[in-house]
Amino acid sequence: MRSTIGVLGLLAVLMLAACGTPAGGPATSATAAPAATTALAPATAMPSPVGGNAPADTLRWSLEGVSDLSSIDPAKPGDAPTITAINLIFAGLIRLDEKLEVQPDGASGWQVSADGTTYSFTIRDGLAFADGTPVTAGDFVYAINRALAPETASYGAPFQLGHIIGAQDVVDGKAKQASGVRAVDDKTLEIKLDGPLAYFLSQLSYPFTFVVPKKLVDSGVKWEEQSYGTGPYRVKEWKHGQALTLIANEKYWRGKPGIPNITLVFNKDSETAYQLYQTGELDIMGSQQNPVPAAHIAELQSLPDFKSAASLATRFIGFNNLKPPFDNVDVRRAFALAVDKKALSDQVLAGQVVAADRILPAGLLGTQLPISGLALDPAAAKAALAQAGFADGKGLPEITLAYGQEGDNETVAQAIQSMWEQNLGVKVKLQSFELATFSKNLDTTFKTPAQGLQFWLSIWGADYPDPQNFLSQQLHSDTANNNGHFADPQFDKLVDEADRLGDRAQIERRLQLYNQAEQIAIDKVGWLPLYYPKFNILLRPRVSGLAVTPNGLVAPDWTKVTLK
Amino acid sequence: MLRFFTRRGISMVFVLFSLTFLTFMIGHLAPGDPILVLMGPRQDTETYAHLRHLYGLDQPLLTQYINYVALLVRGDFGLSFSYEGRTVRELIAQGLPISFGVGGLALLVSLIVGVPLGMFAALRDGTLADRGLVALALGLYSIPSFVLIPLIWMANLAIFRAGYPNLPQAGWGTPSHIVLPVLVLAAANVGYITQLTRASMLEVLRDDYVRTARAKGLLERTVIVRHVLRNALLPLITLLGPTTAFLVTGAFVVEVLFNIPGIGRIAVEAVGRRDYPVIQGTTVILGIAVVIMNLISDLLYHVFDPRIQLTE
Amino acid sequence: MAQQILNLETIENTVRDERHAPGFFRRLARSRTALVSLTFIIAIMLAALIGPLIYGVDPTHTDFTSINAPPSLAHPFGTDRLGHDTLARLFAALRVSLLVAAVVETINILVGAPLGLLAGYFGGGIDILISRLADMFFAFPGLLLAILVAAVFGQAVTEQYGSTARLVLVAGSLSLVGWPLMARYVRGQVLSLRERDFVLAARAIGQSQRGILQRHILPNVAGLVITAATLDVVNAIVGEATLSLLGLGIQAPATSIGKMIVEATPFLAQNPFLVFVPSITLTLLVLAFSFLGDGMRRAFDPTGR
Repeated sequence: MRSTIGVLGLLAVLMLAACGTPAGGPATSATAAPAATTALAPATAMPSPVGGNAPADTLRWSLEGVSDLSSIDPAKPGDAPTITAINLIFAGLIRLDEKLEVQPDGASGWQVSADGTTYSFTIRDGLAFADGTPVTAGDFVYAINRALAPETASYGAPFQLGHIIGAQDVVDGKAKQASGVRAVDDKTLEIKLDGPLAYFLSQLSYPFTFVVPKKLVDSGVKWEEQSYGTGPYRVKEWKHGQALTLIANEKYWRGKPGIPNITLVFNKDSETAYQLYQTGELDIMGSQQNPVPAAHIAELQSLPDFKSAASLATRFIGFNNLKPPFDNVDVRRAFALAVDKKALSDQVLAGQVVAADRILPAGLLGTQLPISGLALDPAAAKAALAQAGFADGKGLPEITLAYGQEGDNETVAQAIQSMWEQNLGVKVKLQSFELATFSKNLDTTFKTPAQGLQFWLSIWGADYPDPQNFLSQQLHSDTANNNGHFADPQFDKLVDEADRLGDRAQIERRLQLYNQAEQIAIDKVGWLPLYYPKFNILLRPRVSGLAVTPNGLVAPDWTKVTLK
Repeated sequence: MLRFFTRRGISMVFVLFSLTFLTFMIGHLAPGDPILVLMGPRQDTETYAHLRHLYGLDQPLLTQYINYVALLVRGDFGLSFSYEGRTVRELIAQGLPISFGVGGLALLVSLIVGVPLGMFAALRDGTLADRGLVALALGLYSIPSFVLIPLIWMANLAIFRAGYPNLPQAGWGTPSHIVLPVLVLAAANVGYITQLTRASMLEVLRDDYVRTARAKGLLERTVIVRHVLRNALLPLITLLGPTTAFLVTGAFVVEVLFNIPGIGRIAVEAVGRRDYPVIQGTTVILGIAVVIMNLISDLLYHVFDPRIQLTE
Repeated sequence: MAQQILNLETIENTVRDERHAPGFFRRLARSRTALVSLTFIIAIMLAALIGPLIYGVDPTHTDFTSINAPPSLAHPFGTDRLGHDTLARLFAALRVSLLVAAVVETINILVGAPLGLLAGYFGGGIDILISRLADMFFAFPGLLLAILVAAVFGQAVTEQYGSTARLVLVAGSLSLVGWPLMARYVRGQVLSLRERDFVLAARAIGQSQRGILQRHILPNVAGLVITAATLDVVNAIVGEATLSLLGLGIQAPATSIGKMIVEATPFLAQNPFLVFVPSITLTLLVLAFSFLGDGMRRAFDPTGR
């Protein structure tokens, strides 16, 4: 008896201690002079300890969701944290600036042929790898062919670079070089496509075509551990399972980067990363895939560390169009009309996302043209269900919503599940999977629809800021990303035509076509868009020169990024 | 003695092989294709075939197992499925010393704290102090680490905000990074070491030979040191094996939340990614560790009390 | 695992007593802590069974206007991040956790006890076979086997057979590492019983093997088995909580004590109540089962220690 009371007492003490600590809100700086100025501001930033663990020459950047990177080879970029690392070490022909527009990088300029199929890039004067070796057009040829080569086993390059003439031959092992890629001379790179692609330049911002030093790759299996390229930084040390340390590239073509060192810290758990940020052990935390945990947003919103931008991603529900019950468009419509997106984003997710009524994320090229989405309408939803022959949900097979274990998916799935029950009268089951297994299941759904999922919660973030990436690449009946085999001939026709309109003067028409296609996809429920996540991160005020864009943290110019 | 070692040796080898067999079979008979998992959403048949061949998955199951074991005895654990180009051996070599270090330290701390507490409780059996200690021990044990860790984080954060030097919330590299994880692991351990010491001391204290010693008029302190302690601490030795296992392997929650690149974290992540070579490798290594520790504790037991026969 | 080690010591004390001791319940009743624990456990079980009927709130009902709310008249324990009533969730979670624990112990007993019995009584080849089998599972580090099985087979099982099957799978995977210990205890007990006078006497008068097993051995082993199972419940509940941490346990929208804790922990700063309600429940359950098991252990020992 007394022992039990003893334990209760202990727990009570712990409880009081926990409740008593002010959790969040403006933290007063109890530290000495250097922080005095911040103590006067109404909402002070999270204090960095005086002389403590905030090194003046190192930026500590957290990569969440991974405990290590499996590879930083630009030819096969894996997940988002890997791409963050790759973008610091390697670079390609062009880059995206803070407005997500194409800017020259390795190429100082380029020309496009009249028919839009041939691109001529001029390699920048004085461009060199971090070890001083000059970069030539031949190096880019090497990099592109390497990305396509079967030995490299890059899962995405063959797909994205597939329109380059001769690329498929390299992928199939029939050739060592793509005939469409050649170095006219040391300073000129020529790429020929099989047809005009409006978004080709945009695509080049993705790492596949980033240039890598051949002698580095040839140096052995462990070349990545000491890798360097034409990016602002190079690898200093890779402590597997802990952190990747980078040091400034003295030979960077723009000049010496403003911060001497960057440490990319691996944090599998976002909560851990958040805790580390709070005690001053990190300068940057949060990313698109793994933002600041929603649980803490309320306490952080007023702080200058908290940065938020709409991200170019759409969270949606995908449907298997070749398996009952979602092979019936009315059933899909019924489910779409029964979701209260406003409640989901405002209440369940505490306003941390933007409710979606269309497929293209807010702010993407093409969203200037309007769309009419499927707004919440329980009566219409029920009617649609009845129209499909399942009045009041009778006769429906057992329905399961699949989702991957990441972020707030479980909460979202549960919320929507209860919406369907309340608004549509249908009880849906939930099934969660580890991310890797979830990807595999999507693949099964694509290859053998009868054995695949019925519908699933998923997200698509822009590879490059173009509507093609969301429409043609996701919902064209022929594309490999169309896991649910959504097929509408009119949609296909519209996007096919739009994809080919490479001429800048035709941009209006191009966007018009995409707009019409998008409307079809909405009406026929190719996707059920839910919301656009906001890109919530914590960025310490001492870091200046980084811009928060929907595509992530972008440095317009690394030579101007500094630590105060 | 030799017979003991021989029989033990055979039994150890058997256990280890059956471990590999069990994991191997679970891994390869499981639903799902690890290559597809590895490749993610973007796939093509050529790369698939290539990878499948690279990992030897295109051969019959039994052949694969035999090949695996043949390499295993030579110390080659194979390639990891999810970390490209890295061998299982190197992953284990990275993580094992770290987990052992943290676990070993936690064991030490929990012994240093738990044994005296248990002794104190036993000597004060029945009093409020005793009951309080028992309750505290059980209480600490029953709080799961994933509840304890956020509480510790809050406390650490409060210390930081108050301006005092604080410990790192997570990470690895400096001596100060070891403190919190060891604290959490030791907390769970202290509970039952206290209990165990107390229980075993209580028994011994009531035993005849102790009463005899007291009747002989020996000082209480002599009684305790010379007679009680030696016998009371014996059960702790039997703990050595299983405790090592618990600390090293059950520590994965601590490793994940505190960002420690130890073998527990590697093993659990491997399960999530269906990285079977890593799963098999870590299971074997951890199995070896457990078996060796069991052997050592049995030997120590025999050394301390020769009456106790070495059983097979 | 840790608690199991504790039990090794306490169980070995139990092994000293061979006779099916009369007055067991009387001795049990003498220990106040054990009685209180037993009462508590029965009360919790009743609450889990009847509570929802009396309280009447649906644990899966979501109220988006009242998220993460502190306790109020409408919601005595507050709500969680989806607007579920915490008290209703607690009842549901208790049901699941206790059920999982029950299934785990049932499997442990049904598998471990007979195997230990056979190994101990018949010895020889059977003993070696069973002991090796037990060693194989026992050598598996910690919860790793449970995690592996739950991860690998979890989704296939749920897809094909539903969420009840999932629960059984979770319980099954936890008992994979539990039954060897049970078998070992039973084997040890049977080994010592086998040489006792009353067994030798029974054999001398020609009683059948089965008769001996049933009439003499089994009753004396029963006490040990039940005590071990009671003490192991703690491992089962915490084990399920750990599986939930990795997303391998009970799946949404069902919940367990462990899952409630895991889901609430990120909100510790905002809504501490949400964390402490299931945590305290868990702690109390652990204490109750520990004290009860300890009391049972003592009650078996006629010297009353």
